[in-house]
Amino acid sequence: MDKFSKLIFDIGKLWESYGNSYLRGISSTLILALVATAIGCLIGFVCGVLNTIPISQNDHPVKRFFLRLVRVVIRIYVEIFRGTPMVLQAVFLYYGLPYITDNALRFSSIWLASIIIVSINTGAYMAESVRGGILSVDPGQTEGAKAVGMSHFQTMTAVILPQALRNKKPQIGNNFIINVKDTSVMFIIGFPDFFAAHRAAAGATFLYFPSATIEMVGYFTLTLAASALLRFLEKKMDGDSSYELVAADPLVMAAGTYSRPERSEK
Amino acid sequence: MKLSENAILEVVDLHKGFGNNPVLNGIDFEVYTGDVISIIGASGSGKSTLLRCINQLEMPGSGEIIYRGENMLARGVNINEYRSRVGMVFQSFNLFNNMTVLENCMVGQMKVLGRSKSEAHERALEYLSKVGMSAFIKAKPKQISGGQKQRVAIARALAMDPDILLFDEPTSALDPETVGEVLLVMQTLAEEGMTMLVVTHEMAFAQDISSQVFFMHEGKIHERGTAADLFGNPEKAETRDFLSRFRSGRQIAG
Repeated sequence: MDKFSKLIFDIGKLWESYGNSYLRGISSTLILALVATAIGCLIGFVCGVLNTIPISQNDHPVKRFFLRLVRVVIRIYVEIFRGTPMVLQAVFLYYGLPYITDNALRFSSIWLASIIIVSINTGAYMAESVRGGILSVDPGQTEGAKAVGMSHFQTMTAVILPQALRNKKPQIGNNFIINVKDTSVMFIIGFPDFFAAHRAAAGATFLYFPSATIEMVGYFTLTLAASALLRFLEKKMDGDSSYELVAADPLVMAAGTYSRPERSEK
Repeated sequence: MKLSENAILEVVDLHKGFGNNPVLNGIDFEVYTGDVISIIGASGSGKSTLLRCINQLEMPGSGEIIYRGENMLARGVNINEYRSRVGMVFQSFNLFNNMTVLENCMVGQMKVLGRSKSEAHERALEYLSKVGMSAFIKAKPKQISGGQKQRVAIARALAMDPDILLFDEPTSALDPETVGEVLLVMQTLAEEGMTMLVVTHEMAFAQDISSQVFFMHEGKIHERGTAADLFGNPEKAETRDFLSRFRSGRQIAG
């Protein structure tokens, strides 16, 4: 009990001097996670659509080559960003850009750098899951769209993606929650998020455990709220499940009543 | 087969194989305005593949598909425009699950033909009432029966004002009790002069509506003729065999 009241006391002390910095950190974390998840989904959807453009023997060889190239490039992108830690990607890109260009190019803002890195990371995951989502939609839907003359792009935007998106909604929420937590690694390039606030506060006061407690409670509250919100949105987007029953169908008839027109029996 | 001026569609020496399996072994025929051609034959004889090759849901191996004098298998042909002129009704309906009945019939008109929303709406309603589905315009595909789905699919195809309608076993996936309503709609279309190619196992229906009947056997049109000739007086042994198996009810459909 003693330890517990000490913890409460320390947390109070921390909050007194660093409360604002924690709160600012929370808002940065949320904004980064939201923006990066949105951009990442966009990247994922674009990759998914490009990845599924059908290659036909009748296409011009240049077009076929280009389509194959696109698939290879996307494959490489996905494998690299899915296969390396985000914390390293951040360091690699943030310090690599000025290194390679002799300081001609550098990230002017830590925000921009963080958004780009988290977005392309999310995009790599989403690209694969969107591709899966597209493949999971009944091929008959694509055939139906093709048969009325829709192009690949029209088929995707009007018919396939809305259905794939519906299947992918939990996945997008999942990615958002992962991003809320995983943006904490962006402290490595100096992004002022919730976790960075802990490093500053704990570094100055040496109250590591009380600060970590604040962080644990904070992150957990964020993700819990996010998943409740996502569930609510999912329900909303599914729409009304009831509909009006219509009894007036002029053509419904009983079994085997296809009526032959009059003709002479032989 | 010579190139005829007024044939809408000509299929010339069409071949198609899946892997090492030849499915179509040289198909030739012409379609003129107002033709109602039924394609019958045992399962695996290539009927559906032929239909799917015509609007290139399957790529033919070789041959020509000449639509209004132009080979649709040539490189650089706008396949989407061609497909919008050749409607297709599938065995499994393939209605867009994310749209209502009405939207299903509007989306192609707006996206492909560039019609305005109000015009598309008007036409969709016109064709939906033609197939007796105007009461269901707000329903989603999962909320209506198989026969109703197929009638919506027919309205969707009609709304594009196609030159030809292709029917790929339109009643094979239906409950027996909903077959009649779909056949009735098709019969009305045939009587109104719609050009139709119908792959079907409904022999009585084929006999009634067809101007020509093709009997397919081993990837070829084995016998062709008027409905009266082919059903009443088939020349080839395989045709007689198929029809008698069908009439005695031992044919396994599908």
